[in-house]
Amino acid sequence: MPSADDRLKALFASDEPPPHDPPFSTAVMERVMRRRFQEELAWLSVLAVAGGAALWVLWPVLQPVLVTLSRGFAPALGAFVLAICAWIVLGGRLSAAPGAVT
Amino acid sequence: MILTSLDESLVAAAQRGSAEAFSRLVDRHQQALRAFLRRACGNWALADDLAQETFLTAWGRIGRLKEGASVRAWLCGIGYNKHLTARRSAARDRAREALYEAERDETKDAASEDKLALERAMATLPDDQRACVALCLAADFSHSEASEALGIPLGTVKSHVTRGRQRLLQALEASHAVC
Repeated sequence: MPSADDRLKALFASDEPPPHDPPFSTAVMERVMRRRFQEELAWLSVLAVAGGAALWVLWPVLQPVLVTLSRGFAPALGAFVLAICAWIVLGGRLSAAPGAVT
Repeated sequence: MILTSLDESLVAAAQRGSAEAFSRLVDRHQQALRAFLRRACGNWALADDLAQETFLTAWGRIGRLKEGASVRAWLCGIGYNKHLTARRSAARDRAREALYEAERDETKDAASEDKLALERAMATLPDDQRACVALCLAADFSHSEASEALGIPLGTVKSHVTRGRQRLLQALEASHAVC
């Protein structure tokens, strides 16, 4: 004869959810991931708006500086870009060549 | 002990942003949380909805969970607050009730008299008492764990459990007497 508490416990146990329920866990994680995506999107939007506003405010100051800098740095920047392109093109060919050491 | 340390390592990983660790926590605790909410609100569809919302809230608040705290009790605490909030939303309750009744009618024949008597008796208990009974009698929570989860003083939990147990047993005896 089971005790009253055992009877109660057995009755409560009869409607327990399964110990593992993949559809339920998947539904939860789907909502968690959606929430995470929305939060990241909101954060990136705030950053983009703040960045745009900062640029708009600072543009009168930044513009003359950038113009001056670009005149001085244009040859060096051109050479740097060419060097990078050459490195990518030649590097690719050299590594693709037969017997190349990788 | 091993299970607790596994929980701690999963919580630590989830606090660092690991969705995989959180997913394992969901898998490990969904049964306890859903069982508690089913008993606390008596409506399976609503209970599962509340359990999902509880996990969603837990994901947002996982950083606040203290080291060594019981994850199960923490989740049940969040779930209980969600249940109380949902109860206040009468319109939502009514919509869910219709769904619940539809599901319930299908299973009524299969359920034993005892089970129905228990469900009816649970439904008559006040919210706090019902939650204490659901945790301490059905889910093997200690009184102090239930007190921590529900935010109710320890003495009140003990008296709720004693009175709730008495009322449930009376209901079961009455059901047997009728049969």
